[in-house]
Amino acid sequence: MRNSNKPNNLIAISLVRPKSIFWFNLEKNWYKFSRNRLSIVGLVIVAGIIISAIFAPWIIPYPEHVGPFVDFESGAQPPSLQHLFGTDIIGRDIFSRVIFAFRGALIMAVVVLALAVPPGVFLGLIAGYLQNTWIDTVIMRITDVFLSIPPLILALAIAAMLKPTLMNAMIAVTISWWPWYTRLVYGMASSVRNEYFVIAANLIGASKFHILLREILPNCLSPIFTKMALDIGWVILLGASLSFLGLGEQPPIPALGTMLSDGAKFMPTLWWMSVFPALAIVLCILGFNLMGDGIRDMLEKGRE
Amino acid sequence: MKTKENILLNIKDLHVWYRVYGGFLKVLNGVHLMVREGERVGLVGEAGCGKTTTMKSILQILPPGDFHIPRGQIFYKGQDVLKMSFKELQRLRSREIAMIFQDPTAALNPVFIIGTQIGDVIKYSSAVLEENVHQQEKIKMLSIKTLKEVSLPDPERMLINYSFQLSGGMKQRVCIAMAICSARNLLIADEPGTSLDVTIQDQIMRLLNELVEKRNTAIILITHSLAVAREMTDRIYVMYAGTIVETATPEILFKNPVHPYTKGLLASVPKISGGGISNGIPGKLPSYLNPPSGCRFQPRCEQESPICSEKPPQLFEIEKNHLVACYLTQR
Amino acid sequence: MKQTTNNEILKIEKLKKYFHIGKDKKGPIYVRAVDGVDLNIKHGETLGLVGESGSGKSTIAYTVVGMYRPTSGQIMFKGKNTGMEASRRSLSSKKEIQIVFQDPGSSLNTRQTIEQILALPLRIHTQIPKRQFREKIVELLEKVELSPNYLYKSPSLIGGGEKQMVAIARAMAPNPSLIILDEPTSALDVSVQAKIINKLIDLQKEMNLSYLFITHDLSLMRNVANRIAIMYLGKICEVAESATFFEKPLHPYTQMLISSVPVITEEEKKLKPKKAISIGEIPSPVNIPLGCSFHLRCPYKMSICSKVDPEMIEFSPEHIVRCHLFAKLENKKQERSD
Repeated sequence: MRNSNKPNNLIAISLVRPKSIFWFNLEKNWYKFSRNRLSIVGLVIVAGIIISAIFAPWIIPYPEHVGPFVDFESGAQPPSLQHLFGTDIIGRDIFSRVIFAFRGALIMAVVVLALAVPPGVFLGLIAGYLQNTWIDTVIMRITDVFLSIPPLILALAIAAMLKPTLMNAMIAVTISWWPWYTRLVYGMASSVRNEYFVIAANLIGASKFHILLREILPNCLSPIFTKMALDIGWVILLGASLSFLGLGEQPPIPALGTMLSDGAKFMPTLWWMSVFPALAIVLCILGFNLMGDGIRDMLEKGRE
Repeated sequence: MKTKENILLNIKDLHVWYRVYGGFLKVLNGVHLMVREGERVGLVGEAGCGKTTTMKSILQILPPGDFHIPRGQIFYKGQDVLKMSFKELQRLRSREIAMIFQDPTAALNPVFIIGTQIGDVIKYSSAVLEENVHQQEKIKMLSIKTLKEVSLPDPERMLINYSFQLSGGMKQRVCIAMAICSARNLLIADEPGTSLDVTIQDQIMRLLNELVEKRNTAIILITHSLAVAREMTDRIYVMYAGTIVETATPEILFKNPVHPYTKGLLASVPKISGGGISNGIPGKLPSYLNPPSGCRFQPRCEQESPICSEKPPQLFEIEKNHLVACYLTQR
Repeated sequence: MKQTTNNEILKIEKLKKYFHIGKDKKGPIYVRAVDGVDLNIKHGETLGLVGESGSGKSTIAYTVVGMYRPTSGQIMFKGKNTGMEASRRSLSSKKEIQIVFQDPGSSLNTRQTIEQILALPLRIHTQIPKRQFREKIVELLEKVELSPNYLYKSPSLIGGGEKQMVAIARAMAPNPSLIILDEPTSALDVSVQAKIINKLIDLQKEMNLSYLFITHDLSLMRNVANRIAIMYLGKICEVAESATFFEKPLHPYTQMLISSVPVITEEEKKLKPKKAISIGEIPSPVNIPLGCSFHLRCPYKMSICSKVDPEMIEFSPEHIVRCHLFAKLENKKQERSD
């Protein structure tokens, strides 16, 4: 039972060494994810959206229609074999534009989360670890202020102040988004800091930096990742709301909200102009929500 | 004069599997257990050996959907529990058998007063009593009477208390009161003193002993402590990895343990007379996902013989009132 | 007049730890978890601290290791004052006193590998260069009889006994002098407990450690501790050497505790005091009775017991007890020496 050959043993283990605990358990994690069939449906939808967004210029049937293009003769056509989702009043293929619009939607979601999550999490960690001190009070009251303003109105105000571009819409949504992560992490950090392993690390003499990043943060990651997956859908919705009101991606580049607003005037006769972009938004939110459920199941610490 | 001859509960060759990722956890691998009327039986085993699974199988309260019983029978008063209808099971649970759980704080509902909880138990098992107890007064009287039986001071005031106002020992007494209200014939006590202080545990054990004697109820006492079983039981079953490895009366078991696991366990128990403790039992519990095909203790056993890994040994009577499941003792 | 002798590694004097939990009309309400405790531990010895819930034994452990700041009193470690929170202690004092907690499941970070867990004390307290960490960690694992496979495992994948071994390895890593063990085996099976206890005893001899061993399990204590101190509601009732403690228990609470212990041999049964069976409930530490805190449950209660709190009396060298029953002895001793 005792290993007599020390050096060989260590080399052997180094070769098999897993990069992180997550990939080590990939099979088990997949099992946990796939227990609910709807999560797999969500994953398929999300995969479809991402792939079509990445390869949009090459897979859409009418790539020119996403730029400045006018063809009044084929305008206002209902859905047919040549135009799966029909055409809008200036003759652009709605199917191609919807697929292309996924790009802007996903880019916005990724950028917003990349900008909002780190500061939000960081502030939540500090406030949670230093609970009941003045730092906690200051951080959380500021967070409360931002949380009390309805996101759409805040985003509108900011986007209206700045020029209407995709970048500014992203800034606006980011500012509305970070406080949710602060509050989420605050709750977790303030309870994790009382766990015995954190106390043990403190007693051994670990620096505050180590405790925050190596002891507390890893135990807060599951709800953060789950929330991020779910949030992608909601950021897309908020982005679409902004572009519905004209703030965001400017024409002729297609955006789901803009297409909805363009088609709203022609309801119910030219119904396809609004319904398909709306369905696309619904699909995004549905897909990311279902996948998010699966991610939550996967990351939850159940019985091993 | 108590009759200790009639068999009340007879578990025969029980196998229970749990469905998990990667297959089945084959937890119970042929459990044999027998309890006579009025008898005190101890089921001793360490964590993960399957004692709680066995007890939950008797009352059929295993997590639904996730378990599978490929073989075995549980005879209660002659009838197989595994084949009972829902109505018969309900009758079993509300009037015949009651369970006392390990953690009294978790077993009591914190948002209802004690009076309501005991009252509910009496109401649902009321058909066993002669009078009609559907009147509040009668229920209250019976609750107070039962609380007095478990030596709780000031039972009238106890009825309006919430569980968080009581100490651990008092909560456990309330749980015992609730159990004896509904159980006529069999109590199953799952480690009733473990979460309590040792002086309080001593009081609870003495109380259980008294009640069981007075009412001629049988009791199955589940514990991980051989010492507790010694002081409280007429017969002890030692369980390991889902099988019964040895069973005997306490006198015989402690004087002449035969199974290597029992011997190892006894040697590991620290004694107040000093003398140090053994080095435990080498190895650890086998995986239930891929259990050994023969004797489940064989990987940790110091002695060995080829047949040990072929098929699991059956319980074999080596002397009166002493059965062992080990090939090495059957020579 | 006692002085700190060179033999003592830890000396606790008149330690009090009160927790403020609110107010009522009479003033602030305190939980008097530790209420005037004197203890000492000699080099290389194991001092056992026994008590039930509310006795304050865990509070003493946490105060000594630095989780709490004492309300009053002194803690001297190797002659230096250590009675403050861990954040204000010197690095060397953090290295010398280590603790192993009761619940192995929550004392190890499940989001780290065992290698990372054991690397932390090495990084902080030793000068070993990083590239030699793995070797040293494997050495530590071998000391507690765990194979190098455990390096990459997460604590959630290993059993309770093995987790506790990792916790012990973590405590040994910085080469401490005093280890506090707060009920290290209470959550474990008896066969696993046996293995761990024997390993602790071996390591003590090998590394010349002192232990403060806390448990409620008297039969375990008998086989582990050199001296045993028993606590009730924040005060020490009796301190004696292991064998004496069981052969001649003086304090009524000690007798009650010993008689409540379930035993497995006839020999042990004879050792148990027959008249002192357990009665009554343990009072809450918020409502400690006046006079001797044990008098409500004591079979030998006298009238003085409900009025005056007894002093610690030396019954014989190395055997002290705090009880009015033995006060006459002390008076007689004083009369003789006058």
